[in-house]
Amino acid sequence: MRERGQARWRNWVARRIPPAAQVQLNQRRIFIMPNRVGAAFGLMLFLLLLAAINYENSLAYGLTFVLAAVFIVAILHTYRNFTGLVLKAGSSGAVFVGEQARFRVRLESVGSPHHAVGLGWPQGELQTLDVPENGQRECELSLPATRRGWLRPGRLRVESRFPLGLLVAWSWVDLDQAVLVYPKPLAGDLPLAAGAGQDEEDEGSRASGQGADDYQGLKTYQPGDSKRRLHWKAYSRGQGLLVKDFAALAGRDLWLDFLAIGGDPEARLSLLCHWVLQLDDRQQPYGLRLPGSELAPDYGDAHREACLRALALYGVAA
Amino acid sequence: MSSVQPIPRIALTWLLVAQVLVILPHLLHLPPWIIGLWLFCAGWRIQVFRMRATYPGTLVRVGLLLATAAGVFLSRGSLIGLDAGVLLLVATFILKLLEMRSRRDALVLIFLGFFVVVTAYLFDDSLLAALYSLLPVTALLAALIGLQQSGVAVQPRATLKLAVTLQLQALPLMLLLFVFFPRLGPLWSLPNPNKAFTGLSDSMAPADIAELSRSDALAFRASFSSPMPERSELYWRALTLEHFDGRRWSQSAGAKQIGGADWRKQGPALDYSIVMQPSGKPWLFALDVGLSNQDGVRQMSDFRLENRQPVVQNLLYQVSSWPQALRQVELPPAVARRALQLPEQGDPRSRAWAEELRSQHGQDQALVAALLQHFNREPYGYTLKPPPVGADSIDEFLFRTRKGFCAHYAGAMTFVLRAAGIPARVVAGYQGGELNPAGNYLSVRQFDAHAWVEYWQDGKGWISVDPTFQVAPERIELGLEQALAEEQSFLEESPLSLLRYRDVGWLNDLRLTWDNINYGWQRWVLGYRGEQQLHLLQRWFGTLDWQRLALALVGGGGVLLGLVALWLFKPWRRERDPQQRLLRGFERALARHAVIRQRGEGMRAFAHRAARELPVQAAAIQAFARIYEAQRYAGQPSAPDELRAALRQLRRMLPWRKSPGA
Repeated sequence: MRERGQARWRNWVARRIPPAAQVQLNQRRIFIMPNRVGAAFGLMLFLLLLAAINYENSLAYGLTFVLAAVFIVAILHTYRNFTGLVLKAGSSGAVFVGEQARFRVRLESVGSPHHAVGLGWPQGELQTLDVPENGQRECELSLPATRRGWLRPGRLRVESRFPLGLLVAWSWVDLDQAVLVYPKPLAGDLPLAAGAGQDEEDEGSRASGQGADDYQGLKTYQPGDSKRRLHWKAYSRGQGLLVKDFAALAGRDLWLDFLAIGGDPEARLSLLCHWVLQLDDRQQPYGLRLPGSELAPDYGDAHREACLRALALYGVAA
Repeated sequence: MSSVQPIPRIALTWLLVAQVLVILPHLLHLPPWIIGLWLFCAGWRIQVFRMRATYPGTLVRVGLLLATAAGVFLSRGSLIGLDAGVLLLVATFILKLLEMRSRRDALVLIFLGFFVVVTAYLFDDSLLAALYSLLPVTALLAALIGLQQSGVAVQPRATLKLAVTLQLQALPLMLLLFVFFPRLGPLWSLPNPNKAFTGLSDSMAPADIAELSRSDALAFRASFSSPMPERSELYWRALTLEHFDGRRWSQSAGAKQIGGADWRKQGPALDYSIVMQPSGKPWLFALDVGLSNQDGVRQMSDFRLENRQPVVQNLLYQVSSWPQALRQVELPPAVARRALQLPEQGDPRSRAWAEELRSQHGQDQALVAALLQHFNREPYGYTLKPPPVGADSIDEFLFRTRKGFCAHYAGAMTFVLRAAGIPARVVAGYQGGELNPAGNYLSVRQFDAHAWVEYWQDGKGWISVDPTFQVAPERIELGLEQALAEEQSFLEESPLSLLRYRDVGWLNDLRLTWDNINYGWQRWVLGYRGEQQLHLLQRWFGTLDWQRLALALVGGGGVLLGLVALWLFKPWRRERDPQQRLLRGFERALARHAVIRQRGEGMRAFAHRAARELPVQAAAIQAFARIYEAQRYAGQPSAPDELRAALRQLRRMLPWRKSPGA
């Protein structure tokens, strides 16, 4: 019963405030109610009124009415402080399971300022911030990433109690944000599909650029190239950004293969994740084979992202 | 939200300021140790805030509470009752400082503060007190704002401005509520503050009225709707004193009966309304015999008016008086007995003199005339400083000292009349009053207190006479100040009283204006209770029913709230998107030159067409369109300055109106 009610409520809110990367708060999206402080204030007004009635004191009536009218006017103020606020989804980077996913939200004011706007997930504490007139503020909300795949936070609660704290104006906003959660890296040995010898783990020699891979020369830097292969000496000579280009030797390709490992699928993904990070760290080309997909051996940030993404989304409905 | 949110520094400051402002008016009636308690608690709380001290433990708190309760008991002799209650409330308000840890505690403190402000009204509801109370209320609202986590809350000026704005915007709504909210009678009776009242008491030794004459406190104000009588006819009756014990005149039990006295209206009526200062006594003031159809006001068996309850706050009532009315042509035996009562013994010379007069004058009227003549001829004096008299007070006054105040003359005359067999009684009240020309009303003060005599005559009923008039006619015709001009004793103990400087023109004008404002305050604000409200609303709306009232209240409230909303939201500046707003400006500028954007016409197409039609301004038009498109669709920074500059440029180039030749 309660669940069905909640589901209906969610549907209603979803129809009223559909998910969007940018939401402006307006009368369709704002709810406003006295909160507990407001209720206590109301009780106080009632007691003041009783005193006024029983003592037939005009000034007591007067003060009661002033405060009651302030309460009513505060509805307008609370609403005004809230309406027109624009919420925009900011970029949010991927994280690994067990980390905190960070969602950036930008609050923009078109016109009047917004004071003490609270923002957060319904279950947690709200962050409070002021948005200046015609200005913007960014805030970062975190949510623990517990499962790999896409992490979609629920609706954000945005609220404001300014100026008197007697009323709360709030809205539920879905900024259509999602963060990709990679599997948690898990250290372990990997049965390698093609001849990666243990002797090749010597970091020192690799760092000096004398590895098994073939040094092919320099090429101009393109976004996505590893920054660790930047030719700084050339850069300092004013030759622009160049990267040292290596080509993996044929037949020495390293394959990370899901099917080659035993055990629980999640553990396998975690292990693969660990090795993707390890190999990427060593600038060693590697390929990834998952049931149903295959990423050819390569290296670099883009390749790493592609591999991690494949691991994160393996078996998950995108 | 967790309830242990700390209190921001600014809110604590506001709270301390508000506390001082809230408590200040109470200091007039609270014991001084409350100041010490506040300083102690505030000091401790500040040290807590500065991390130099910790919150008091339970033991200390309980100890403080008990000590405070003991202090209240010692100061008030009780822990219940309004006076002790207010003291307890203020003490709680102060002690709460020491356990104010969270926002919620701060809220409790703020709400308590509003209560303390209201209790101050029970002790003083003057205009000044009302204006003053705006300060603590503003500070309490500021403290409420200070609890918010906003940049505004940490700026005292901005906070103050917001608190004042809120009140100003609430003002029309408040007035509406004040006028229309139905005034009910008290739901249950509550104790009233034990204020010290000055005024007449129900017994009078000669010195009592002289005592009152030293006070310039206001007794009541009266406005006439009929022509105002001469000053010498303004005898404001308050009560009759019938019982004499040889020294004091006091009210007899019989006079406390309600109604029953027979009288006949005669001659023209005087209509007036009186706003009375709280006296703590039930009796009201009226000229001669008066009637009021006010709820709770009744005529007593000795023709005076009395309120059902003692008057503890300003009371407004309407009276009609018939100065020429015939009162009790038939004297009931019980009344006659009371009006002839004398002590068994004492004052033998006066009694002998009464018998002598009786034997000389067969008719009562002649006897009274002879008595008055006696006061007039013999060297009697009018003074606020009468010489002391011994046991036979009437004898000593009549035959030895011969100097006295109205109470001496009234008492002596009544005594002699009774001794001569004529029913008589002392009437206590006020005589005269000061006319305020600005407001055309009379202010009657305590020094106008007066005592005179009424005696009963067969066929004519009760007749008022004033022996003081024979001795000091200027007292009746001009007032106490003139009567005491030689003695220079008028208000000599209150050198600061503005009344002493009536001859300084501008000061007197100022005093009268201020008095007039206060009178308006009492009539229209303090006196706005049940009947007054009904009266006013009936005058505005004709017949009155609650449906109409509710409609006026809700409808008026809606309109006022709408106005406040208009003020706040300024919907005429609705287009909140600055780009769109500038686009409207662009369209308007071009529309004046008959270039109107068609429905569905894109920005680029429109700009091309406009540039063709207005070739001189083509560059400016295109520039605006380019910037608009870049901002709108190319995701360039949305600061509107550049676009605004482009529009300004275009406007500068466009002539205001399309010239006929163009």
